[in-house]
Amino acid sequence: MSDVQKIRIESLGAYLPEQVLTMEELLASCRRRPPWDLEHITGIRERRVAMGEYAVDLAVQAARRALALSRYQAADLDVVICASISKHNRENEFHLEPATAARVARAIGAGRARVFDVVNACAGMLTGIFVLQGLIRAGEVRCGMVVSGEHNLPVTRTAARELRHRFDGQMAALTLGDGGAAVILDASPDPAAGFHHLDLVTGARHDHYCYSRPSRRGPGGILVTKAHGLQRKGNEHFPAYLKETLDRSGWTLDDLDHIIPHQVSVRAIENSARAVERYLGCPLPAITRISADVYANTSTTSHFLALHRFILDGTIKAGDNLLLVSGASGIVISHATYTFDDLPDRYRGRWVPGGRP
Amino acid sequence: MKRRVRIAGLGASLPGFRLLRRGSVARAVEAGRRCLADAGRRPAEVGLLIHAGVTRDYHVCEPANAAYIQRRLGINVEFQGARTLSFDLGNGGCGMLDAAHVLCALLQEGTLRAGMITASEGNADWQARGERPCPDSGAAVLLELSPRPGTGFGSFVFLTRSEHAGMAETVVSLAEARGRLLVRRAPGLEDRWLEMAGSVVAEVLEREGLSRGQVDRVIPAQISAGFLARLPGAIGLPAERVADFSGDMPDTLSTSIFLALHRERTLRPPLPGQTFLLLAFGSGLTVAAATYRF
Repeated sequence: MSDVQKIRIESLGAYLPEQVLTMEELLASCRRRPPWDLEHITGIRERRVAMGEYAVDLAVQAARRALALSRYQAADLDVVICASISKHNRENEFHLEPATAARVARAIGAGRARVFDVVNACAGMLTGIFVLQGLIRAGEVRCGMVVSGEHNLPVTRTAARELRHRFDGQMAALTLGDGGAAVILDASPDPAAGFHHLDLVTGARHDHYCYSRPSRRGPGGILVTKAHGLQRKGNEHFPAYLKETLDRSGWTLDDLDHIIPHQVSVRAIENSARAVERYLGCPLPAITRISADVYANTSTTSHFLALHRFILDGTIKAGDNLLLVSGASGIVISHATYTFDDLPDRYRGRWVPGGRP
Repeated sequence: MKRRVRIAGLGASLPGFRLLRRGSVARAVEAGRRCLADAGRRPAEVGLLIHAGVTRDYHVCEPANAAYIQRRLGINVEFQGARTLSFDLGNGGCGMLDAAHVLCALLQEGTLRAGMITASEGNADWQARGERPCPDSGAAVLLELSPRPGTGFGSFVFLTRSEHAGMAETVVSLAEARGRLLVRRAPGLEDRWLEMAGSVVAEVLEREGLSRGQVDRVIPAQISAGFLARLPGAIGLPAERVADFSGDMPDTLSTSIFLALHRERTLRPPLPGQTFLLLAFGSGLTVAAATYRF
């Protein structure tokens, strides 16, 4: 392992809207109901949806929760980076500027923080962490926040309205959910804890597999995904990068306590796990943590909502070793190895039993 | 002491009508190619590509525009051999300086050897009925660690007054098919920027240990002729040292500051040892400043 200063997740905040929308309810709302059993195909039973809240609101809620657990005050933050894709910050509006981070910083009282947005599809939060890690290591900032709020419901609603046939490119929009997540990062005082290796690479030849833009047929935004192609191409290449990340961290599969993949769908994660097993020539231990069944695909926030779930249920503990895996449109492949300090214990300790996640 | 980061190449796609090569990605690619040629570098040497434009072709919000630009520039497009990460960084008119600061940090901590920043603007409305935040344009810079001590980027300062965030907005209305660009600028926006500029310039000069007399040239975003006429008074520097190309160079939002540097370099090539002050103004509201020593 290298002697480079490690960066740690000093605090974590997650926000899930109250409203639950089941796959059956969503399919029933489609103008032309798909003939597939999507719940069986994807393994997604339900998702949270934000009603009367927008992407920036979800980000702000998560940011406040991260601050509540942190030893830092909002005024201590040197930088706030927002990684949302779905910048639906008002009804029927997608915001290009100002940076959503400016609105988050304003809402939480981070008055002296520098603000900007990072957009890199579903790898956005990991990209934000990569950027903040660089700024901290270079001594430019002491601590900062990477935050995201994903309000995917408008895109899901467009799909429900516009789906025309069983192979419609908008089908994947029915696998999305809403949520917010935030992490506060600083230099790790414990050389054994923090990010060991964070690797991101863009294979831009494959930028056509997934895109999001306004609909040509009516109001609203759409998400078009060539899901099979995207997964095939991803599975072709990501196991080699996964192995490289483990090697650079000085780890083997036996060192891992948890694998946290991007929560595309339960079946997609299972397919990816098989691709890794084929590449490595050995079975993966049963440590892949899946939250897509109840939260669906919450884009940039999915890794951190999974952490939230599995820390709270006691699966993830202090000192555990994690591998974060992400595939995003672009295609961006990203991996991170991470060792927790006492954050899981603190996170559970702050939790109010019976409170809504 | 940290090694400084220098601009190894600078490319521009100047505003003006184009029958072909229109749009945000095409402009960024044109600027990127010129930037690589200016630096004498191959695309494969770019380890990181950050795109800092505001508007996007077809109002696409995913994937990152940088991925499209990376592919069209032919920068390590496959998952084999040399690798490149590309992503978008958004902060309105200050995006390129934000990206420069991020890239400087990543170069200084040894993550990569060379990185490129692009920015571009293009009105992506299907029919030209939407508002145009600015004319189409593109700019690109290639950054690397400076071989000569003391030359390159110095300090960066960013000041955000988020209580004024509503004064400058660019949004895509999704109320109609294909989306429509809406540009909102509140009266008094330039006044707010000028109020903020004085303290930003004072701080960046203090961090760099420079007096105002040691600044050879100020390169501001070309907001408007009226704005540039008032800027010297706001920052306490003489007007003859402030680059004003507003007569024939409109405000081009995210690309403006590096297009102005490109123009300056063409008209008056900087001499070794000269210190420039780059000044950007953006939504947020944010004012950003950086020093650069040639």
